[in-house]
Amino acid sequence: MNLAANANVALYSSMIVYTLAMLAFSWHLSARAPHVAAARTRANEREGVLVGSGAPSRGTSSRPDAAELPEQESAKSRQRGNVALMLTYLATALLLAAVVMRGLAVSRPPWGNMYEFATAAASAVGLAFCLLAKKNNWQWLGVFIVTPILLVLGLAVAVLYTDAGELMPALKSYWLGIHVSVAFIAVAFFTIAFAIGVLYLVRARREQNPDTKPNFIESLPSSASLERTAYSVNMVGFILWTFTLIAGAIWAKQAWGAYWQWDPKEIWTFVIWTVYAAYMHSRATAGVDHRKSMYLALTGFVCVIVNFTLVNLVSTFVGMHNYSGM
Amino acid sequence: MSTDTSTELSTENPDNPGRRAEPTLPELGPLGFLRFVWRQLTSMRTALFLLLLLAIAAVPGSIFPQRNIDAGRVADYIAQHPSSAPWLDRFGFFDVFSSPWFSAIYLLLFVSLVGCIIPRTKVHLKALRARPPKAPARLSRLSEHAELTTDLSPDEALAAARELLKRKRFRLHSHDDVSLSGESGYLRETGNLVFHLALTGIIVGMAVGHLFGWRGDVILPEGERFASSAGTYNTYSPGPWVNDEQLPPFVLGLDKLDVQFNKVPGKGFGMPREFTAYTSLSPGPGQPATPQSVSVNHPLTVDGADIFLLGNGYTPVITVKDAKGEVLYREATPFLPQDADYRSVGVIKVSALPTPKQLGITGFFLPTAEPTFVNGPVSLFPDVENPEVALSIWEGTLFPGNAPQSVYTLDTDQMKQVTKADGSPALVRLKPGETYQIPGGRGSITFESVKRFAGLSVRTDPGAPISLVAAILATGGLILGLTIKRRRVFVRVRPVVASAGGPDGDRSTPATVVTIGGLSKDSDAGLAAIVDALHDQLAQRKDRS
Repeated sequence: MNLAANANVALYSSMIVYTLAMLAFSWHLSARAPHVAAARTRANEREGVLVGSGAPSRGTSSRPDAAELPEQESAKSRQRGNVALMLTYLATALLLAAVVMRGLAVSRPPWGNMYEFATAAASAVGLAFCLLAKKNNWQWLGVFIVTPILLVLGLAVAVLYTDAGELMPALKSYWLGIHVSVAFIAVAFFTIAFAIGVLYLVRARREQNPDTKPNFIESLPSSASLERTAYSVNMVGFILWTFTLIAGAIWAKQAWGAYWQWDPKEIWTFVIWTVYAAYMHSRATAGVDHRKSMYLALTGFVCVIVNFTLVNLVSTFVGMHNYSGM
Repeated sequence: MSTDTSTELSTENPDNPGRRAEPTLPELGPLGFLRFVWRQLTSMRTALFLLLLLAIAAVPGSIFPQRNIDAGRVADYIAQHPSSAPWLDRFGFFDVFSSPWFSAIYLLLFVSLVGCIIPRTKVHLKALRARPPKAPARLSRLSEHAELTTDLSPDEALAAARELLKRKRFRLHSHDDVSLSGESGYLRETGNLVFHLALTGIIVGMAVGHLFGWRGDVILPEGERFASSAGTYNTYSPGPWVNDEQLPPFVLGLDKLDVQFNKVPGKGFGMPREFTAYTSLSPGPGQPATPQSVSVNHPLTVDGADIFLLGNGYTPVITVKDAKGEVLYREATPFLPQDADYRSVGVIKVSALPTPKQLGITGFFLPTAEPTFVNGPVSLFPDVENPEVALSIWEGTLFPGNAPQSVYTLDTDQMKQVTKADGSPALVRLKPGETYQIPGGRGSITFESVKRFAGLSVRTDPGAPISLVAAILATGGLILGLTIKRRRVFVRVRPVVASAGGPDGDRSTPATVVTIGGLSKDSDAGLAAIVDALHDQLAQRKDRS
């Protein structure tokens, strides 16, 4: 058994554990919905009683989410959420092991073709989620992160798989370690922000019709809080993407003799940057509905997907970034 | 292109009341009209619109082949789409990034950007010197606020708050004896302005590179030398302000080109593994040469010009003799690779003969020929395993009207294909060392041997360092502008007489009610933490006293 084969075993194992984590996260969400319905009924009953009770000395601020959340979580859902988190930690550790072993097997950064990029990006999403989930109580987000990870891994294994091998000359540079890794870490943040952004739009829509039958969506943080979180995560992604763009230009100067030649990959990297820049601007402009801004961010993510799939695989976009290994 | 029009320093443009209809429209003079256009252009919404338009306008550049990248693919596309391609060409879809519409969008965007930064810089410079504003009357109305009662005297409480906020790098000012105003995060706007200014710096760097940069490409077979000058490159594209006389006069000889391909069967079969050119480089004619190697990702630098190894291929050495055995042509002729297995095409123009008896030989070089030719000339592997040339021969006038033409294409307008005795076209297949007798006593063609060539590109871009510095500044500015929060914190003290809290309530001591308010228009999770910290630390001091 060589390292590359072990890497594949670790990858398959991580997919099994991610599947369990996905089920556990869904199980966790299923416990949140009835609880939120019950909490809402109680709140309706208690209304009126609260009015007139002594005001606390510490003024209530505009942060009701933090106070809201623990009350909306039953012990049962918290337990299930923690089980799911533990499984995610394990699955991510296995995936990271797979990526590291692949890297050792080929003695280079393990992101030199589409298969490797997809697995490395999935591991970055998993790692970023693991690092942020506990602190931010993101158990509700888990299923929306683990499912895409599984999809990407499945696609990588079934369609993109490339045997461990040497790189083509154009990729033999330390910039591979810098430019590409920052690119997929940025993609990891964009992915998490995309999941939160979609949940925000759903939550915001349901907040406008308060009479809908409550489900787990109502147990999420308020739409305003989801929006802020998505913005912060997108912001990190955007800064990293800016760095990707610049690092790519420096590398292009070294490898191709010109830092910017409007190669299809460069064009789409630029388009993604521009769309997210438009999102950041529109988000900061007074009077623009945050939902409209969020659609821009979601569009940006669609461009990220196009950049990784169509631009790599469709011959229309033939350019100098021909590294898919397909 | 103002990033945060949401800070209270630059909210909605007060001169631009929006879309409300006015009962009597004032007459706009020409100057007024210009002011109106300028305001529209520099408004945030226009900038946003232009930004999105720029993203959309860039997309066709990735879908349609572009002349600046691969003119050959453009020609193929035009040939394949005879009805739509002329229209696409007319609207610049094959030169998107130099088309008028693309240029218009980014120029407008940058005008809008500059029009936004300049006034904002003025405002920001003023704000940097200004004192934090007076505390609002009701701090409890601010988004973050807290209140506590302390045993400290009003002055002590304010001094304590001042000390704490100072440590958190707030700029502080007391407009009266009972309040304190603090402001922090000036670097946010500084970062924003640096970011946007640096973007214009990137454009300046690109312009400098375009004006003063030049590029020369040369195909150099193994064993040959090349002396750099404007006339010796195969293609030479100088910027408009380049002095051709001042190109570096280096001499470069290609000793050996080391090329390796993956021989392991499977998906990666035939993929390149290694390209290295071993060269001897001397800074000028007659000067001693030193061995230097150029490979992908490792350019050579000489006299401010960088030499890149961007391509490689094969140069079959072909000899053409006349019927008497006199050599008409003997050259290592570059054949350009067409696919990943280096099926290469090339042309041999035997112009030593008089018109209309000149010979043009065109065809393929196959490094590893598929022997049966059932699917025409096909190469199975990019390395030289079974080299073969497959050629057809033409006779006539090579350069009709002496018009300039590419060395890689044969103009057969005034030429006829040479045929065998039975009237079928003469098709020549040769392996190294083999000779073919051209029908009709026209002489012979010999495929002597095959050498590799290196496709070298020599480039200078004096604008690149400007763009690089600007890009680094832009990133720094972006990080500051996005992560730092502009915050205001206000503290107000009010002396009260508090009861000691006993059931009789007759003992009373002087106390101070401290109200804290925090304000930030950005999404700012840290503001609450600051107000909380201020509250808790003031509360602790009460305990100690």
